[in-house]
Amino acid sequence: MTLDRRRFLQLSALGIVAIVADSACAVSSDRTDAAIDRPQLLVMLGPERVRQLGAYYRASTPSENSAGALRSALSSGQGSHIPLIKRGSLDDQVRDDFAAGRTVVVDGWVLSVTEARQAALFSLTPA
Amino acid sequence: MHTDARTLENGAVIDADLCIVGAGASGITIARELSNTPLKVLLLEGGGFDFDPQMQELYRGENVGQPYYPLQAAALHQFGGTTGHWAGFCSTYQPIDFEKREWVPHSGWPIRREDLDPFYARAQKVLELGPYKYEAADWRNGDPDRVPLLNDSRVVRTQMWQFSRTRFGPKYRDEMVNSPNVHLYTHANVVEVEANDGLTAVQSVRVRGFDGKEHRVRAKRFVLACHTIQNARLLLASNRQTRTGLGNGNDLVGRYFMEHLEMPAGTLAVANPRATKTKLYALDFMNGTPRGELGLTPSAQQEHRILNGTASVEPGDPTDQVKSTFQLIDTAMQSKVRAWEKGGMKGPHPIGVAIQALGHPISGPPRFYHLKTRQEQAPNPDSRVTLSTEKDALGMPRAKLNWQLTDLDKRSMRTFYQVLGREMGRTGNGRVQIRDWLLSDDRTWPSFVSGGWHHMGTTRMSADPKQGVVDANCRVHGLANLYIGGAAVYPTAGAVNPTLTLVALSLRLADHLKTKL
Repeated sequence: MTLDRRRFLQLSALGIVAIVADSACAVSSDRTDAAIDRPQLLVMLGPERVRQLGAYYRASTPSENSAGALRSALSSGQGSHIPLIKRGSLDDQVRDDFAAGRTVVVDGWVLSVTEARQAALFSLTPA
Repeated sequence: MHTDARTLENGAVIDADLCIVGAGASGITIARELSNTPLKVLLLEGGGFDFDPQMQELYRGENVGQPYYPLQAAALHQFGGTTGHWAGFCSTYQPIDFEKREWVPHSGWPIRREDLDPFYARAQKVLELGPYKYEAADWRNGDPDRVPLLNDSRVVRTQMWQFSRTRFGPKYRDEMVNSPNVHLYTHANVVEVEANDGLTAVQSVRVRGFDGKEHRVRAKRFVLACHTIQNARLLLASNRQTRTGLGNGNDLVGRYFMEHLEMPAGTLAVANPRATKTKLYALDFMNGTPRGELGLTPSAQQEHRILNGTASVEPGDPTDQVKSTFQLIDTAMQSKVRAWEKGGMKGPHPIGVAIQALGHPISGPPRFYHLKTRQEQAPNPDSRVTLSTEKDALGMPRAKLNWQLTDLDKRSMRTFYQVLGREMGRTGNGRVQIRDWLLSDDRTWPSFVSGGWHHMGTTRMSADPKQGVVDANCRVHGLANLYIGGAAVYPTAGAVNPTLTLVALSLRLADHLKTKL
């Protein structure tokens, strides 16, 4: 099953995106997924550190210790943006997190909740 | 004039208008201000002109609180005082440092920053600094890359520093020795301050040498300017007439000892190394180019109810073993610095070499930077200097330092990096990592807990005798003619190193004394 942008928006509006996205992303490696599990952090900290941070996050947040749970959390992001559509939206969401104080400290790094979840998703991808 | 007090006959009595005890930055500054006046000024220095291990040993004391540097190595006991080996970091205290902050117990000075401004401007000259300018924009030096990180932030500010190379010993020795009215006595260790019968004024100070000879200095007014720990020690040890020591009617002398916490505390990863301009923050130890450090704005401090502090920004990898100031500049390093200075300061500065050696080899614009904290500690009455039962070679009880920190100190440091991290993220500039030790509970401090040998407090300033030892003019409450010079009078430590403020306050005290003599 693929999930194009138009279909995603419709589902999102109906509030069922999390469920669909979970199953969709499990079998897809399309562009949308790439944005979800490729946080900006990768550029700054490198894949090894980000993978480690993601693992720490999952360990410290048992309720989000699966790809489905993380995607669900990301898609129901607390900002005003519709997440998971494209890179720019996620980046905005990350900035909004920082501005609103929605941060989490993972291995000492002060991260946006969104990017911490992205890192956690990244940690579930093959190295 | 200069006299080596060892040449005096036993029992000599010397009279003066003003007696200044201690020839460090404060004592020399006051003496210079009163030089070439009709006043007879005595400047008593316990040490000589050069480093002397026997003299230095008089400063040895006990450390019973947080791990602290050996007291005999934490301050220099010679003409010129601790400026003989200081790093020369100079910056101004911020207006908020003088204010009563309801979230910082015991905060608030009886003077404001604007009261000190004219003296700061004069202090710049004493310390051979540049113009009295401490805004980042003042130090762009025509270089478009010397700009603040987060220039438009309402949360993060840049604290600017200038660097002094002034060693008061060599710099002002001739001026003091040749002064027509300042009489410098070296090897003149004061062991007791003697008050009148009513304990309302000081009559004399007693000087004692290693050979057992004693002398007495009588004056109209006295200034104790012999270092934060030693000032307290001297007052407490002057306990023949009053059991608790002079000026200590309210049990405040020695209390509120403060340091600046100087410790590695974080890492900055920048989002775009090529576009990130950090030149303003580079430490140019040899040339003394003014540099910046990151701090939080007063409103951010208030919002988060934290102390004032800054972070230096220096290239390095998160895996580097960054050292605290106490670890970096140990006694061996101090010896190296002394040798380097004695040898005419050729080659790279030993501290600069050590800092470089700690870094990670970097090619191209750095991705990572070490963030090292410099933060005031909260005024704490339990952080204090008392007298040891052990006595030194002159028969004076040694100092016992019980350096204590509070939860607010650690919480402030951690919050600083959390707020900085948020701001770096919000602006897309980068991410901040807080070091492990700072994430544990607020009461635990690591073994490398470190100050910067910035000794403050112990005779704090307050308009209320129940809250402070000296008044706004640095006069000891209850004693009409005794003053304290130096950082001992600071009610709060401020975020930055104390010497520029110390010299400014000494100039202010000198002006006050001119009106009283």
